[in-house]
Amino acid sequence: MSNGLIHASGLKKSYKIGPNDVEVLHGIDMDIENGEFVSIMGQSGSGKTTLMNLIGMLDRPTGGSILIDGDDITTISRKEMVDYRRRTVGFVFQQFHLIPSLTAYENVALPLVFAGDKGHSAALDALERVELSHRLDHKPSELSGGEQQRVAIARALVMSPKILLADEPTGALDKETGERIISLLNSLKDDMTVVMITHNHELARMSDRIINLQDGKIKE
Amino acid sequence: MRLYSVVLKDVFRRKAKLAIAVLGIIVAASAMVAVVTTFSAATESLYEESNNFGANIIVRPQTNSIPLIAGSTSLGSISTGDNYILESDIPGIYDIENSANLGVVAPRLYGVVGLGHENVIVMGVDVEQEQNLRSWWKVNGEWLSDPNGTEVMLGSDIAKPLGLDVGSAITLEGNGVDMEFEVVGIVESTGGEEDGYIIMPLSVSQTLLDKEGKVSSIDVRALCNDCPVSEMSLQIEGALPDVEARAMSQIVQSEMAMIKHTQTSAMAISIITLLVSTLTVASTMLASVNEKIREIGIMRAIGASDHQVISMLFLEGALIGTIGGSIGFGTGTLLSYLIAPLLGFAEPFPMWELLPLVSGMAVLVGIVASIIPAKRALSIDPAEVLRSV
Repeated sequence: MSNGLIHASGLKKSYKIGPNDVEVLHGIDMDIENGEFVSIMGQSGSGKTTLMNLIGMLDRPTGGSILIDGDDITTISRKEMVDYRRRTVGFVFQQFHLIPSLTAYENVALPLVFAGDKGHSAALDALERVELSHRLDHKPSELSGGEQQRVAIARALVMSPKILLADEPTGALDKETGERIISLLNSLKDDMTVVMITHNHELARMSDRIINLQDGKIKE
Repeated sequence: MRLYSVVLKDVFRRKAKLAIAVLGIIVAASAMVAVVTTFSAATESLYEESNNFGANIIVRPQTNSIPLIAGSTSLGSISTGDNYILESDIPGIYDIENSANLGVVAPRLYGVVGLGHENVIVMGVDVEQEQNLRSWWKVNGEWLSDPNGTEVMLGSDIAKPLGLDVGSAITLEGNGVDMEFEVVGIVESTGGEEDGYIIMPLSVSQTLLDKEGKVSSIDVRALCNDCPVSEMSLQIEGALPDVEARAMSQIVQSEMAMIKHTQTSAMAISIITLLVSTLTVASTMLASVNEKIREIGIMRAIGASDHQVISMLFLEGALIGTIGGSIGFGTGTLLSYLIAPLLGFAEPFPMWELLPLVSGMAVLVGIVASIIPAKRALSIDPAEVLRSV
């Protein structure tokens, strides 16, 4: 067993499509160290997002295990899953997924509200870290794509998670803005492990390591 | 920021959806408030009417009637028995089982006396009790005040033909005694028998008519609207010898039964409206959950617990209920102001005591309507939702 922060072993996931079980991940073995910035690459349908969902406990595997800091998270209860998503991981999505009725500040503070944290100074710190202190009161519709993604990153950072999971974070952005976002993610690895899914080789090269997925398996 | 402010911001962003759900509650709450307020006014009207009608129970001496029939032709009937009740028996009324419901016990003595060349009917009354019973009379001048005074009030039909007015002095010729009286008041026409009477204190009438210690009848008013007057009549007949007590409330009670029947029907319709409005709110909220499926998925991904997701939807339902219930109370009350006069009822008044009840019920409807949407929200798989967008 590795001492890595994330240790996946024989990880499998299958979905029921009609009467058939379709296996998307066929036994993934993988280690990601603390403070690493790792890119996961692969074609569409290779299982990248499924792997990220399993690490983020948005979904449960159908086989194998995932250890986070030595603890198996695949057998935790629904309540523990919620707590894990609150405190251990942060998500950044391709489409930003901000709540349209809330301002930038409120979107960032939302995980604090769910966690029951009364003080929201962490939200201000997170927005400062992504250089958006001047856009606190703006709603998502009033922000550019790059700004919205930075708000989403601030929301992912606000609970100081161990792992930041980014699924195609630059997919909806132009090249220049995308590179700025990757630089931002790169700067976070001092405080957390960053796992980014992308199919952009140029951006992937900016990370510490690339894991290639092909047909639900790691390509050596 | 708190959870409720997230809900408020979201609800007010979708104003059209909010308006439809709130409208559903407004219709139901208005219907219920309008029914209750209108029929409350109707009941009040009837009670007022029954009060003006006079006594609930009339106690008379028991007489036996013998029909006079010749062949197949009725020649009327003759009565036998004493025509008076002893005044000393009256306190016995206060010993009946339902004595707590006794409001007014007003004995009366009737008799014919001479006034100049005319014969007139006098009515002796217990001044205090009669004034309670006939509080709705309009008297020009004053009511009788001294239970032993030689003062009278005149019915309107008798004052004018005899040219009498307040302050006039009259001499009445009774059974072997003549007495001087001062007219202190004229009773405006009531449309009843008293329009033709000279009204005087009971004790004085007994002296004038030579009927010491006797009364012709006793009018009894029960204090409550729903008193068991028929039962009380039987109790009075049991307590006083040789009297018959007739409940005068049958008409009122049958009208009340009709009003209650109509009210029950209207309330049933209101409850159906309430159920329909619950479905309206539920379907609107379900549509809203389907619309927010992505947002709920995101919230769950960033740490919202099942409890928090449910709380947000219940809060939304409760908010819709509160707004709809409060507006519904106002519109229902206004509606009752329009409906009551059309049905011939008294003008209603806002029943503020209904406000917390209606609001509470509306909130409950909002929350009940949120149960299915909440179940739907809990079944949302964040991985699936976020994958499909």
